Amino acid sequence: MDFLMGMCCKDFVVVCADTNAQMSQILTIKHDEDKIVPIDSHKVMALAGQPGDRSQFSEFIIANVRLYALRNSRRLSTHAVANFTRNELATSLRKKPYNANMLIAGYDESCGPSLYWMDYLATLHKTNVAGMGYGSYFALSLFDRYAKVDMEEKEAVALMARGVQEVISRITVAPSDYVIKVVDKNGTRTVETISPGHVAK
Amino acid sequence: MKLAKPLHGTTTLAFIFKKGIIVAADSRATMGSYISSQTVHKILEINNRLLATIAGAACDCQYWGRYLGMQCRLYELDNGKRITVRAASKILSDVCFQYKGMGLSMGMMLAGWDEETGPALYYMDTDAQRSSGKVFSCGSGSLYAYSVLDDGYKWDLEVDEALELARRSIYQATYRDAASGGTVSAYLITPDGWKKMLGSDVGDLHYEYNPTQADLPLE
Amino acid sequence: MQKSTCAGATIFLGKSQHSTTVWQFCSQSSVSGCRTCVAIAGADYCLAAATTRLSTGLNILSRDANFVEKISNHCVILSAGCQADAKALQKHMRARHVMYQHQHNKPMTCQAVAQLLSNTMYYKRFFPYYTETLCAGLDKDGSGLVYSYDAMGSAGVSGYACRGTGESLIQPVLDNQLMAASPLVLPVQPSVSHLPLERALDILKDAFTSAGERDILTGDAVEILILTKEGTRTERMELKKD
Repeated sequence: MDFLMGMCCKDFVVVCADTNAQMSQILTIKHDEDKIVPIDSHKVMALAGQPGDRSQFSEFIIANVRLYALRNSRRLSTHAVANFTRNELATSLRKKPYNANMLIAGYDESCGPSLYWMDYLATLHKTNVAGMGYGSYFALSLFDRYAKVDMEEKEAVALMARGVQEVISRITVAPSDYVIKVVDKNGTRTVETISPGHVAK
Repeated sequence: MKLAKPLHGTTTLAFIFKKGIIVAADSRATMGSYISSQTVHKILEINNRLLATIAGAACDCQYWGRYLGMQCRLYELDNGKRITVRAASKILSDVCFQYKGMGLSMGMMLAGWDEETGPALYYMDTDAQRSSGKVFSCGSGSLYAYSVLDDGYKWDLEVDEALELARRSIYQATYRDAASGGTVSAYLITPDGWKKMLGSDVGDLHYEYNPTQADLPLE
Repeated sequence: MQKSTCAGATIFLGKSQHSTTVWQFCSQSSVSGCRTCVAIAGADYCLAAATTRLSTGLNILSRDANFVEKISNHCVILSAGCQADAKALQKHMRARHVMYQHQHNKPMTCQAVAQLLSNTMYYKRFFPYYTETLCAGLDKDGSGLVYSYDAMGSAGVSGYACRGTGESLIQPVLDNQLMAASPLVLPVQPSVSHLPLERALDILKDAFTSAGERDILTGDAVEILILTKEGTRTERMELKKD
């Protein structure tokens, strides 16, 4: 029951994901699995779906984006990364599909922050509010109610945390641990982790 | 006719603590309801620094465990240094991804002590899932083992406490899970490599833990 | 992906529809083949025995078929299950052994044969040889070795083993007479009970006689190979012909 949420404001993007790794429907084997992986200093990719496909696909994309930067001494924009990723996912869809849904968030010098939503069928959509998983039903409406384009970072993170609390209290199979990250002109950083505290992490 | 030995019926566990890594497993193999072996080595000695626990189809685990041992040795010959647990687990995880959907059945944990970064423990399976962590358990008895293990786990356990925790966790799993049993084996991994520390027959262990009628668990 | 379920065990197969069809056919107990084989290791000998009845379902095709393949003077392979697959596997192993001898000018050790057998069987992981196999032999000191396999080549070394339809009848008898401490326990205890050859032979014969009484597919005769450092001799024990 993966949970991904993203919110794009004027100067930054907030991305949230759960950090639970499950072995089966009923067993959590890890509470600090980072599903928001860095593509470069100003871009992240949050992934949901089958764990194997998730890591294999993200590693493939990240390696290729970095290779491009090395070869051309020029970074891909968030827009370019999103479309490259979509193309790779769409190409493999008819051969050996990857079961991975994702959000791509980044900050570009030229156009500021951006957020892309993509499912395993390679549907790509640029949006300011995006979510994956059952949890997104609750969080989305909360964002629709309160989110504004010119929110401060603090407000946005607090709103994201409220969304997570709603997910925890309303979903029967809700993940227990979450991480919230922000991407802005200074790069990517973790701003909050939500965790009930465990015996062994 | 029985075809393949499934080791889904298995309890294996591994955890990192202050003094090293403990790796433990039962030893039963089943084919349906028939016990095909009580003396299975579910902890593979990949080389003298690396251990792997196996659950799933015995043939897949044995073969790919052997393959991993070979690849690790080749890495040593190529690079003049030992392979990291991280890299070794990635080799196996990539195999799992290549064969995904073909019916391989493995759930493995890889544990070892890396020269530069210290203790490392990885879980991987045939869905190509791969995670590093401090505490893992795998197999049909893992749910039973987890609760006892989580209850007793602390970072600063002594070696004998840790071994006893591992043995007790596996024992409790064999008590509830019909597909687990035989002998509890436990290994300790330190910077010097692994050493087998425990091998207790579950049949004897039951009476060691419950010497009198009054000690028996509530039924 | 195809999935076939037989006799309570489930196996996943590759994509080939053909292989699945053949496999489903082969997995029926009606397919012709050997039914029961046993191997027992001793301190200075190894016993390898298989029934000589070849049957297809309830139909007896032969009362004098050979299911024991002698690879070398100190290694034999016994297979229960589909006779066609068993013969293919045994012939392949024999050929590999001849090639090894040409290359290395010495016979393979029993341990090497056992390992090669495991790899050979796993090579057909997605369309397996439908055989349950034992590899019995002697190490360089002349003491017995028994390796047992499932259809896909997972190997286990043990002091004794039984495979085939008689397994559930014979294995418990062998356990009762031969089982020692588990090789996994610490402190280490002797994990093999070495019986004198004559005693082991008696148990083996009794086990087959009993299995013949209750298993309709075990009967006619048992071919017993007795491997020692000095050489191999074969004994034949008649069972009931019904």
